[in-house]
Amino acid sequence: MMTKRQMKLGAFINLPGQHVASWRYEGTESKRILELDYLVELAKIAERGKFDTIFFADVFGTPIRENSPSGIKLDPLVIISALASVTKNIGLTATLTTTYNEPFHVARRFAAIDHLSGGRAAWNVVTSANDSESLLFGKDKHLAHADRYERADEFLEVVKKLWFSIDSEAFVIDKEKGQYLNTEKVNPVNHEGKWFKLQGTLDTPSTPQGHPVIVQAGSSEAGKELAAKSAEVIFTAWQTLEDAQKFYRDVKSRLAKYGRQPDDLKIMPGTFITVAKTEEEAILKRKNLNSHISPEIGLAYVSTFLGIDVRGYDPDAPIPQENVAIEDKTNPQIRANIVRGIIEREKLTTLRELYEHIAGARGHREIVGTPEQIADQLEEWFLNEAADGFNIMPPTFPEGFNDIVELVIPELQRRGLFRTEYEGTTLRENLGLSVPVNPNNKQSQKI
Amino acid sequence: MTNKKQLKLGAFFMLPGHHAVAWRHPEAKAENVLNFEFIKEQALTAERGKFDMVFLADGVAAGATSAAFGKEHSASFEPFTLLSSLAAVTKNIGLVGTVSTTYTEPFNLARQFASLDHLSKGRAGWNVVTSGGKEAAANFGQDELLHAKRYERAHEFVDVVKKLWDSWEEDAILFNQEEAQFLDPSKVHFINHTGKWLSVAGPLNIPRPVQGHPVVVQAGSSDSGKELAAETAEVIFTAWQTKEEAKDFYRDVKGRMAKYGRSPEELKIMPGIFPVIGDTEEEAKEKYQQLVDLIPESIGVARLSSQLGVDLRQFPVDGPLPDLPHLNEINGNKSRFQLVKDLADRENLTIRQLYQRTAGGRGHREIIGTQVQIADQLQEWFENEAADGFNIMPPVFPSGLNDFVEKVIPELQKRGIFRNEYEGTTLRENLGLKTPVSQFAKVTLQ
Repeated sequence: MMTKRQMKLGAFINLPGQHVASWRYEGTESKRILELDYLVELAKIAERGKFDTIFFADVFGTPIRENSPSGIKLDPLVIISALASVTKNIGLTATLTTTYNEPFHVARRFAAIDHLSGGRAAWNVVTSANDSESLLFGKDKHLAHADRYERADEFLEVVKKLWFSIDSEAFVIDKEKGQYLNTEKVNPVNHEGKWFKLQGTLDTPSTPQGHPVIVQAGSSEAGKELAAKSAEVIFTAWQTLEDAQKFYRDVKSRLAKYGRQPDDLKIMPGTFITVAKTEEEAILKRKNLNSHISPEIGLAYVSTFLGIDVRGYDPDAPIPQENVAIEDKTNPQIRANIVRGIIEREKLTTLRELYEHIAGARGHREIVGTPEQIADQLEEWFLNEAADGFNIMPPTFPEGFNDIVELVIPELQRRGLFRTEYEGTTLRENLGLSVPVNPNNKQSQKI
Repeated sequence: MTNKKQLKLGAFFMLPGHHAVAWRHPEAKAENVLNFEFIKEQALTAERGKFDMVFLADGVAAGATSAAFGKEHSASFEPFTLLSSLAAVTKNIGLVGTVSTTYTEPFNLARQFASLDHLSKGRAGWNVVTSGGKEAAANFGQDELLHAKRYERAHEFVDVVKKLWDSWEEDAILFNQEEAQFLDPSKVHFINHTGKWLSVAGPLNIPRPVQGHPVVVQAGSSDSGKELAAETAEVIFTAWQTKEEAKDFYRDVKGRMAKYGRSPEELKIMPGIFPVIGDTEEEAKEKYQQLVDLIPESIGVARLSSQLGVDLRQFPVDGPLPDLPHLNEINGNKSRFQLVKDLADRENLTIRQLYQRTAGGRGHREIIGTQVQIADQLQEWFENEAADGFNIMPPVFPSGLNDFVEKVIPELQKRGIFRNEYEGTTLRENLGLKTPVSQFAKVTLQ
């Protein structure tokens, strides 16, 4: 039997829901977002749907502005550590910024989670993007984009060295001779770079996956280069097949110069899905959610995306035309461009139309329809070099998520596009990624 | 029935055991130190024993620069990850993790503990330590901070973390779906802290923790450590060899609290105890001897050298200690240095005898005997203002913890000095500590 190439799926758990007004919607368990039992329920739904991984984003500095529970973010590493012990197969991806952390802590935590979960940990590397975050860490201004990426690049390099500083084979545990470790399998890190100077050894050996899977989310020029060099999964945001294809080819073609194969990196655009048994019902669902957006929230929301403060405007006023140059040419600018593209393509004229349009997917692709219609659209991207898989963004939890697992997943499985059983026990096995070899061992083999 | 005062117990997890070479012990599961199922089993045992908390120590260094590296067990999990995993499989037991204030950011730390407190429904505790040592500093590309500077930073750090926990008042969440008002912005506060070491705007992006604040634990016993504890700590883990010293410490620290507007019962003092349990006293002594015999001389001397800050390899192992540096010259753990030195002086011990005595309890009190003898000694300290409870350090896991739970706990329960059931669902309730009110809450005048 030929093995058909299958898509990879992430479940992007953003509580209480991806949609900005989801907390006011009756199908959302918005009072339970701080409860472990609830997170476990959601992880188990994802596992039932055979998702490759659950994915937790991270951002801080916004709880008051949005006046909704979506500004509340428990620490993603604490969440996935808790979920590790009560799930079996699902990958556990947590976002963590390199801008306000230390490589030693990060290496240690992710190594621990990979051990605790039997090889299911992944780190989504981000660099953070706003000044309100820097103020939480004693910095007046956010690091410039280029500096952040330079730091991130070196940060990753150091973390990987630490992950291999004690090889798992070093543990000889010879009680009789009193030898616990074979110190020849210990490779202390001695790093001196522009951002980090570090000499040390981790207290955790290399992990069941070799090291946790590296995920990357930025789509700027520097982000693409970092991804081509180091990432194994990219989460990205594209509206059209053409744009997604362009990005896909661009990033995959950069891999060769780092000695990597195209398959070593999975590209998974975010996709916001509203599904129902009939198209009418799906459209109605989507409209119903939008009816929960208060103008105050809607206007604050589009302000962030446009880079123009339109709070206090009449929601039925026209969308301001001025194009604001955002100094930091990173995700905010890319998102602003995406939103401008949406306005043009969808011929949106008022602020209300705009916020209703982006209130769910936040610039990611949005698909509304029947299971067949949704599978068609995912299939189209998957078969045409636009995506290796998708990071699925349910509008609400648990209702919208359950709908996807019950309606869309079986349709994808019927088409042979998605697994019916997990291929392996580690995230790497399920994603079809190879296990990285300890570079220190490689060297000694050559000699 | 009168409510007799009861002692509090911590289960100090250090796998595969507290003894320096516990991993060589036939009963030790040395290969299981990174096996979650094994660790989970230990937590469930502790919960069965009605311990107040699991306590995890931590150092941000693998010990790779120590002369004994490779001959000692040297793998462990970072506390947040492990405690979070344990939160999902336990119900009542407190989850206390050690995290240093030296190489971390208060916002990250406040958030991690707040997250753990929510997910565990109010069972988180933070053991505040500062990190000395060159190896730890090198892991962060820094030079080792002086003891006084570390404590100065720690002081401000704890203050900032508490402000962040307080940044959401208890009733900040309105949850008014009808009018799209999730929170009352006047009850979520920027903390705008600017100090010598830290500057943090806030607020936290997590509502007030279930316990108000996760329980704050402190472990240093130096003078600056005592002052920090009197002002901010709710539990102290400490190390004392004799009842007199323990009583002095107990009175000293509790006596410092009034000036911070605190009453003595707001702080629980829990010395570490290394129990070796036998069905007879002889059996316990044999068990202890078996552990001592496992220590290679090289490791014993190396560990003692690092505790005392002197390279002892050049001195005869069966001779006395050489002259030691003055306490002022010690930049590591000052109180432990003093304790080990006093022990050697008091009992006139050779280098070998001294490392044998400190290889298990690492300076903590060792009690070797039957369950009745051990309960007697705990009770004596407890009833004579030397301790409010104890942090139990089993020599070897799982046997040492099992023995304590199956033998000593029932003996303590029989005497009415330890609980038969958990009093509450949060760590604070079980420890008998009150829930703090947000410092930003407006005082309502009556």
